[in-house]
Amino acid sequence: MTLEMRGICKSFGANDVLKQVDFSLKGGEICALLGENGAGKSTLMNILGGVLPADRGEILIDGSPVHFHTPADSLHAGVAFIHQELSLINDLAIYENMYIGRELKTKSGLLDARTMIQNTQEVFDRLSLSLDPRAMVRDLDASYKQIVEISRAMMMQASLIIMDEPTTSLTDPEIERVFDMMRMLKQQGVAIIFISHKLKEVMEICDRYTVLRDGNMVAAGPVSEVTTEDLARFMVGHDVRTENLRQSRELGPEILRGEHLEDETHFHDVSFAVRAGEVLGVTGLLGDGRSELFQAVFGAGPYKGQLWMEGQEVKVTTTPQAIKLGIGYVPRNRKENGIIKDMDIVENGSMVTLPRLVKGAFLDLARRDAEFEQQVQNLHIKMGKKSDLITSLSGGNQQKVVLAKWLSAHPKVLILDNPTQGVDVGAKEEIYDIILRLASEGVAVVVLSSEAQEIIRVCDRALVMYHGTIQGEVSGADMNEQTIMHLATGSVTANQTEE
Amino acid sequence: MEKNQVLQNPGNRFLEAWKRNPLVSTGVVLILMVIIQTGIMIYNFGSGSIGELMLSLLTNWLNILRNNAPVGIIALGMTFAIISGGIDLSVGSTLVAVGAVVMAVVDGSATGLLTSMGITGVPAYLIAIVVGVLFGAALGWLNGVLIAHGKLPPFIATLGTMQIFRSVTQQLTQHANPSVPKGFLQIANLKIGSFYIMPIVYWLLLAVALYIVSKRTTFGRHVYAIGSNVRTARLSGINVNKVKRRIYMLTGMLVALAAIIQVSRIGSMDYASAGSGYEMDAIAAVIVGGTSMAGGKGSIVGTVLGMLIIGVMNNLLTLFGVPPFLREACKGVIVIVAVLLQKKEADA
Repeated sequence: MTLEMRGICKSFGANDVLKQVDFSLKGGEICALLGENGAGKSTLMNILGGVLPADRGEILIDGSPVHFHTPADSLHAGVAFIHQELSLINDLAIYENMYIGRELKTKSGLLDARTMIQNTQEVFDRLSLSLDPRAMVRDLDASYKQIVEISRAMMMQASLIIMDEPTTSLTDPEIERVFDMMRMLKQQGVAIIFISHKLKEVMEICDRYTVLRDGNMVAAGPVSEVTTEDLARFMVGHDVRTENLRQSRELGPEILRGEHLEDETHFHDVSFAVRAGEVLGVTGLLGDGRSELFQAVFGAGPYKGQLWMEGQEVKVTTTPQAIKLGIGYVPRNRKENGIIKDMDIVENGSMVTLPRLVKGAFLDLARRDAEFEQQVQNLHIKMGKKSDLITSLSGGNQQKVVLAKWLSAHPKVLILDNPTQGVDVGAKEEIYDIILRLASEGVAVVVLSSEAQEIIRVCDRALVMYHGTIQGEVSGADMNEQTIMHLATGSVTANQTEE
Repeated sequence: MEKNQVLQNPGNRFLEAWKRNPLVSTGVVLILMVIIQTGIMIYNFGSGSIGELMLSLLTNWLNILRNNAPVGIIALGMTFAIISGGIDLSVGSTLVAVGAVVMAVVDGSATGLLTSMGITGVPAYLIAIVVGVLFGAALGWLNGVLIAHGKLPPFIATLGTMQIFRSVTQQLTQHANPSVPKGFLQIANLKIGSFYIMPIVYWLLLAVALYIVSKRTTFGRHVYAIGSNVRTARLSGINVNKVKRRIYMLTGMLVALAAIIQVSRIGSMDYASAGSGYEMDAIAAVIVGGTSMAGGKGSIVGTVLGMLIIGVMNNLLTLFGVPPFLREACKGVIVIVAVLLQKKEADA
C-alpha cells in the first residue's frame, strides 16, 4: 500500500497546528515522525487515524482519495493506531483482548473461545511469536503488551501501523524485541510510522524521517543521509535562542548531595550535588526517571545509595522527615499531586506548615491567614476570597499556591518538578522570577523539566538524563537545546561527554 | 451581571445554597419532618392544656435524642473514617467487646475484678471508664494498623475485626455473670430536673468537641486532605499512616464511650445482639448528613443532622403506625432520598 497526505491544514481556534503538511509512506517502509512537544505530530496522526478531521488537504491510499470520519473508518482502510497508553485490559487473557468489542460467538450465543484462541494462534504463528493466547495480559512484560497490540492490528489486516512512542516504558532488551517485530512486519510489506524522541532508535530502525516544527514540515528524507545531530537541529530549529536569566551569584556551601542513587527500575547509579544559591536543572525525555529520583530524595519513593544533607549523611524514608531536614518538593501533575481540590485556597497554601501553626491545641487561623496573605503578595497570586475553592483559580495561580505552601516552610533545598506545567506564558515568567529570587536568597533549587528552553532560562547548570542514568552535565555555552536534545535522546554514550 | 441577579432573588439564592452546601438540603428535610411530626402529635393530642401539650412534645423529643445518642456518638467517629476515604464496620462488635471489659472491671459481685481488690464506688467507676476507653482505643489502633501499614482496604480490615471482636467476646464471657453496681448506672440515668438527659448531654458535648477537632486542629484538616487527595497529602509531608491510625483509634474511643453509656443505661449487655447493625445505622447517619463516601467532603454538623433525621423518622413511623416489618424499608428509602437530594459531582 502507499499513503499520501497532501497539504494537510488544521487549526484549533486561532492556533494553526498544521500548516500545509505533506507526508507519504510506502509499504515495507518504517518512517520516523519527529518533532518537539506541540510540533503537530499527534494532530497529524489523529487525522490519519480518523480521530480528528482535517480542515484542508487530502489523504490518498493506493492513489485513491479516502475520507476518515471515525477511527473505525481508518481501521477499515487498513490504518491501525497504537496509542502510547496501551488499550489492553490486564485482567483478560490475550485472545480476549484480541477480540474485545467484536467477540466471536457460537450459535447458542455463548463466546466461541476455541475459534478465538485458534485465530489468535494463527496470527502469532505468522509473526513467529511464541505466545500462549490464553496467557493473562497482566503477566506480560511491557514489550509483549506492545507486541499483542501490534498482533491485534495485524489480525484486523492493518497495512499501516502508527506507533506512538512505543519504546518509552521499555528496557533495552524489550526494545530490541519490539524492533525485531517491526522488522518482521516490514518484510511482510507493512508500513510503519514510528513516533519517537529517541534519535538513536530512529537511526537504528527507520528508513526515512519526517520532522515537524510548529506545524510545518521542515525536513524529510532517508535516515542514512543524516546524523542524530542533524535531526536534533531540525527539531529545535536554528532560530530558537533563549536568553539565560541567571545572574552571577555567590554560591554557598553544598546543601544536598546524592551518590550512587538507585531504585532498580527508574534510575541507576545517579550522583549529583547542589549548593546554596544554585539552580540545578535536571532534564530528559519521558521515562528518564528524574521524577522518581527526586521523589525518592524527598522520601516519597524507595532508593539505595547515599544522601547527604549539609554534610550529614541521612536516610530519607518519609516525607515529614524530608521536610524536617529542609527539603521541599513541588510535584509534577498539579491536579493529581499538588492540590487538594475539595479544600479552599488558604488551606491548600498552608498544608505543609500546618503543624507549625498550632497554638495550644488548636490551629492559629489568624496566623495562618496572615502568613498566607504575605505569600499572596510576594507571589502576586490573583484570587477572589481566600476561602474559595482552589479549583476556582487559573492553572498559573493554582501553581503559585502550591509554591506558596512550600515557600512558607522555608526549605533549604527546593525541588520543583515541571513547575510551569499547564501554566500560561505570563505566569511562567513569574515562576522563573520566583525561582531566581529563591536562589539569590541562598536556597538550593533543583528544577526538573522536560523543556530544554526552561532549563536554559533559569539554571546555572543542568544534568541530562536518559533511561535512568545521567548522560552528561551541561553549563555555560554547552547548555543549548541541541546539546541537551542530543544527550537526552541517548545519542551519546556517557564516556563520549567526558572531556 | 448574571451573578448579581441570582443573588438579588431570594429564591435563586436558596437554590444556590442548596447546590453548594449539602447541609442545606439535610436541614430542610429535617425541618419538614419535624413539622409533620409536631403536627401529628398536636392532632393526636386531644384535650389538655397547652402546658401538657408542650410537655408531651418535649418528652417525645428527649426520647428521640436519648435513644439515638449511642449510635450518634459512634457516627461522629464514623464521620472521620468516611471523610478520610475509609469506613469502620467493626463499631458494633467493638461496642460489645468494650462493654464486656467495662462490666468485668466494674462488676459489683464478690468475684468482680476491682471489688475483690477492695476498690468500689466512684474510683472503681473511673477506672472502668478509663480502661474501657483505652481498650476501645486499642481495638481501633488494631484496625488502623491493618489499614495503614497492612494496606488492607478499610472495608476488609474492619469486616474481619467485626467478626473477630464479637466472637471472641462471646467465647470469653460465656460463664461471666457480672452485676453492674447501682452507682455506675447513674452515669446515664442521672436525672436533671425530672428528665433523663445524660446520654444527650454526652452526645452533644462530644459533637461540639469533634466539630472543633475537625475544623481547628492539624489532625482534623489532615483527615480531609487524606480523603480528598492522598498523594498530595503525602507529598505535603503529612504522615498518612499516623493520621489513619489515629482516625480508627478515635472511632474506637467513641465506641467505648457509647458502650459505657449503654452499659450504664441498662445495667447489662447481650453480647450476641448488642450493637449489631450499629455500623449501618452510623453509616446511614453520616451519609444522610451529606458526607461523601468518596472521601474529602463532609461534616460533623451534617452527621448530627443525619442522625436526627433518622431518629425523627423512626418516631414518625411509630406515630403513623407503620408495621414493624416495613420500618427498615422506610429507613432505606430515607437514605436513598436524602442522598438523591444532595448535589452530586458530575461523572468524569
